[in-house]
Amino acid sequence: MSKKPTAGPALHKVIMVGSGGVGKSALTLQFMYDEFVEDYEPTKADSYRKKVVLDGEEVQIDILDTAGQEDYAAIRDNYFRSGEGFLCVFSITDDESFQATQEFREQILRVKNDESIPFLLVGNKCDLNGIRRVPLAECQQRAQQWQVPYVETSAKTRENVDKVFFDLMREIRSRKTEDSKATSGRAKDRCKKRRLKCTHL
Amino acid sequence: MGDLIKEFDNPNFSVERYTKQLVKECVGGPDLQKKKKEIQAYSDKTSATLKRSVYANYMQFIETAKEISNLESEMTQLSLLLHEQHNILASLTDGAAAKTGEDNDKEFHNEEEAENMHATRAVKEMVQGFNGNLEGKTFLCEGALTELDSNDYRPVQRVFFFLFNDVLIVCKVKHDKRLEFISEYDPKKIAVINIKDLNGVKNAINIITPDGSKIYQSITPAGKTEWIEQFEVAFRWDQQQKKPKKGPAPQPPKPNNSNNLTVDISPTDSQSAVVRKEENMAPDWIHSATDEIETFIAQRHFEDAESLIKRCKDFLQQSKTFVGVVEIEEKVMQLERQLADVLLQELSKCHARNLEVALRSTRRCLQILVNMGKARQASGTLLKVCSIGLRTAQKEARKNNAKISELFFCDLAQVACAFLLSFESQPACVSALVVWCNAELQYFASQLKKHYLTKGSHLESIAKCVEGVRKPCAKLTEIGLDLSYHLEGLLRADLEDLINESRLRLLETVGRTDDPWQPFNLHTKSNLKRLLLELEVLGIDMRPHTTGDTWINLTQSTLNFTRHYLQLTNHCAYLAKSEALSKSCQVLLRDLIIAQHSLKPDANLSVDPNFVAKNKQFLCEELLPIAISIFRRISGSNPDILRTIGIIRQQQAAPIPKKRSVYQTDVF
Repeated sequence: MSKKPTAGPALHKVIMVGSGGVGKSALTLQFMYDEFVEDYEPTKADSYRKKVVLDGEEVQIDILDTAGQEDYAAIRDNYFRSGEGFLCVFSITDDESFQATQEFREQILRVKNDESIPFLLVGNKCDLNGIRRVPLAECQQRAQQWQVPYVETSAKTRENVDKVFFDLMREIRSRKTEDSKATSGRAKDRCKKRRLKCTHL
Repeated sequence: MGDLIKEFDNPNFSVERYTKQLVKECVGGPDLQKKKKEIQAYSDKTSATLKRSVYANYMQFIETAKEISNLESEMTQLSLLLHEQHNILASLTDGAAAKTGEDNDKEFHNEEEAENMHATRAVKEMVQGFNGNLEGKTFLCEGALTELDSNDYRPVQRVFFFLFNDVLIVCKVKHDKRLEFISEYDPKKIAVINIKDLNGVKNAINIITPDGSKIYQSITPAGKTEWIEQFEVAFRWDQQQKKPKKGPAPQPPKPNNSNNLTVDISPTDSQSAVVRKEENMAPDWIHSATDEIETFIAQRHFEDAESLIKRCKDFLQQSKTFVGVVEIEEKVMQLERQLADVLLQELSKCHARNLEVALRSTRRCLQILVNMGKARQASGTLLKVCSIGLRTAQKEARKNNAKISELFFCDLAQVACAFLLSFESQPACVSALVVWCNAELQYFASQLKKHYLTKGSHLESIAKCVEGVRKPCAKLTEIGLDLSYHLEGLLRADLEDLINESRLRLLETVGRTDDPWQPFNLHTKSNLKRLLLELEVLGIDMRPHTTGDTWINLTQSTLNFTRHYLQLTNHCAYLAKSEALSKSCQVLLRDLIIAQHSLKPDANLSVDPNFVAKNKQFLCEELLPIAISIFRRISGSNPDILRTIGIIRQQQAAPIPKKRSVYQTDVF
């Protein structure tokens, strides 16, 4: 249970990041409304909220679907600050989008100043395995390097769509319980500790 | 009375039910009368209270009216701005293909500047507590939004945003609708999130500022989209501003001459306008003139609008070669029509309770309309206004039992004077006035017939009424308006009918009373004296007929007839001033005296035939000539018909009775 002072269900804030056209909105809409949107219309920044049952507990998920286009890079900081967990999406048919994930990861870590922020690397469009450009091994290697889970999804077939959102929410939830156990002062220390540890690695 | 008020104030009050109830409750007429009086008193009291409260709030009324007109002009300005924007967009899309790009660009800059000025002023005027400098900023968007609680989405407060290219001003909308500055943000540090789904909350956006994230709600989906787009524009402002500069020719934002011209709207500057004409470029004032005129009209500076239109027309007549002449000319014509319409409308609203006030308030509009050459429309409208004023005044006067005739003709004269003052040089209008006067006269006559010359009216009141109409009517000739003939024509048929009717009625009364055919004894000297005086005033000297202290040597009915006849002669003579009525008046008088003359004593009565003859002789030889002279004096014409009876009478005259020994009284 959330220890927030508000009475309502716990709210988990998820942010979709990734290059333009990799399917962030498609994943979001598939999760929200069980529908696959074929038309492509670049997103600026849309937010959605939905009540879901996570392991028998009713929670709210807040999804911020951001713009992948490069010209929004400057404003991303503002969005990222509010996120509690990130789905970093790329298209397995587009190597450039995979390379871009590096940049997104760095920006998130910089903004959140937290190496262990709940984060999933998501390879979307796995229904298009035939025209795959990013080898699975490469993806897994990067995930391992970042110490984050790697999941392949298809917004079209709904494969793993629920999984990525629920997995991320679980991580966010466990982070929150962890944080609330520690006093606020020590939490901050731990953050630093993590960061230090990271630099050690 | 308190109960009464409560009853009337009841929203379910029904007149019918109330009346029924009243009738049921009241016993007999007096009771009802009493109730009626009570209600009447209440009604009077209410109207008095109403009057009082109107006076008490008079200033407020005036202020509210001012406020409304201010708002009206502001609305017009707003719509102007919108219109301008529309024009800019249209010209931009058109201009992209054409070569006039430069022109449009300039225009665009001007419009943009005007808009900026407007918004900057709005911020300064409306926002309390904001001291930032807004010079040189570009205004993008403004509007009210509702801030929602981020947890339960309840409305927290109303806010008002002003978005400029590099600053967002957030204000709180206070309860008195004033704005209180909260904070300002750099749009580059603001992230806007379109909230697509928030548990049923519609049209919400999330704005993330350095101070945190807040949810705002717009009233319409369009408003929300607009905000998102404008925030994006502000966010990308610097990128976009750089792009056009990379464009074809990096022109200085404003060429030298256009800079001078933006201020050039003063009428004294026509010289420089003529100089610039050589470049086939319209002076800027004429471009801005149309908007200016529109603003003048909206702000009710009609004179300024008119003079500016005139100036534009003059200029357009001189030179028709510059760019965009057709559009400007068209626009000016359209504005001229608009101004005329507005003025006519204004004019038609001028009617006040008092005609004089109404006339005074029309003067301004009239002057402008005449200057604009719209005299005919103006005169028509003016006369309509006057009709209303005139008729209301008549109604009022009738209610108050005032002299409606004098009022009518005075009003008519007033209108005519005011009209001639404005339209003297317009013959077409003057004839309109004449037509109008005739129409009003016709209406007046119909009212007169309806309310004063009703069937069964006495000749006396008819004569008074007609005399009262004729006198002021004749006075109108002083200002060159002769309506007498028309008036007589309108009244003639009715008056003739009335006179004939009176004649028949009077003839019936002759000889009704049983006359004992004895000399009239008035019993006291003072009675005699009074009778003699009365008759003397009417123009007949009866002293020769007195005998003794209290006797008149004529019958009582002869004396009564004499008095009545002389009065009637007076009235008839007045009516007979119009030749058309003279005949029927004379016939009335003739028939009456003949009827009296032919009265015969009852056969059963023993009377002195000489005395009977004396009475008849008196009628022919004394009363008739006096009546004839009175008639002639008053009516100013010879009563030929009356004089013919005189001759007949003399032929039939009875032999002159012997003189009696007469006792002379000392009454005189």
